[in-house]
Amino acid sequence: MAAPAHNEGKHLGPAQYVLIWVVLMVLTGATLAVWKTPMSDGLRISAALGIATVKAALVALFFMHLYEHGGASRLVLVTSMMFVALLIGLTLADNATRFPYANPPSSSPQDEVPFTNAPPPSNVPPPPLRARPEPAYQGH
Amino acid sequence: MATEAPSAHLAHHFPDLQTQEHAARLGMWLFLATEILLFTVLFTAYAVYRYLFPGAFDEASKLAHVSMGATNTVVLITSSLTVALGIHYARQGDKRKTVGLLAVTIAFGAVFMVLKGFEYHHHWVDGQLPGKFYHFTGLTGPGVSMYFTIYFLMTGLHGLHVLIGMGVLAWIALRAARGEFSREYSTPVELGGLYWHLVDLIWIFLFPLLYLV
Repeated sequence: MAAPAHNEGKHLGPAQYVLIWVVLMVLTGATLAVWKTPMSDGLRISAALGIATVKAALVALFFMHLYEHGGASRLVLVTSMMFVALLIGLTLADNATRFPYANPPSSSPQDEVPFTNAPPPSNVPPPPLRARPEPAYQGH
Repeated sequence: MATEAPSAHLAHHFPDLQTQEHAARLGMWLFLATEILLFTVLFTAYAVYRYLFPGAFDEASKLAHVSMGATNTVVLITSSLTVALGIHYARQGDKRKTVGLLAVTIAFGAVFMVLKGFEYHHHWVDGQLPGKFYHFTGLTGPGVSMYFTIYFLMTGLHGLHVLIGMGVLAWIALRAARGEFSREYSTPVELGGLYWHLVDLIWIFLFPLLYLV
């Protein structure tokens, strides 16, 4: 490996740390400013998450030394971010493509609906069975 | 060059301290990745319920105490600065400044937890609690109590991490005070600092999501 034996020159000093802290404070102010500004919901979330991502990147790169060390640690963080995106993205995509009534009606104690165990009306003929049931299938 | 006396901190299976430090740092990052994924599950729950109840989350998040949340954001980011400076001075072998900055960081953590406690207390007396314990009459409707379930789960797990981080930093400050770290060896200070920064990172996302949007 041709990694430099000494990367002391890349170490940040207290002045740089304080500068990054100032930037983080300004971005925190920006987050609050976005909150005060009237705008659409989607835009507000995008702006808030965008600012948060920039702040997180500053912390990870400089406070957590990824900028000066890099290497495999960066790969670990990027990989975990990929899984974060997969988990949140695919779960949301699942919810966004469901039928609306898949949302349970009593998912909050404020809208309790009486629950009934009564069987469905019997004058409706049951759905036809499969012509040839598969013996291995145990579901439902 | 190769005849240098091996450091007391060097484990026998590493050729030199630098390799050992790289391995330790990578191991810490792998642990942090699992922590990120642990929180991601809760972030996913947040995303799903926010998607299902956009109006309820919008209204319920207005009940969050933004001023305390914002103060806590400033407190945590500043504590990240102090721990970063602590690591800097630990690398330089400045024991006094390292211990001092770590102590300041722990104090910031304590301020964070106290403010969080006040917030929890307010929600508690107002009945803004998860699930069936929700009895706040000022805002009702489907999904409102779900916001508070997510709120308490996320801030609760984060608060637990703050407490653990304070413990880790206290242990490291104690070791630093005993003079265990030097210019050549300060890896534990750095790893403990990484954990603390992660706690800050999580809060950077929690604050806007729970309090503002």
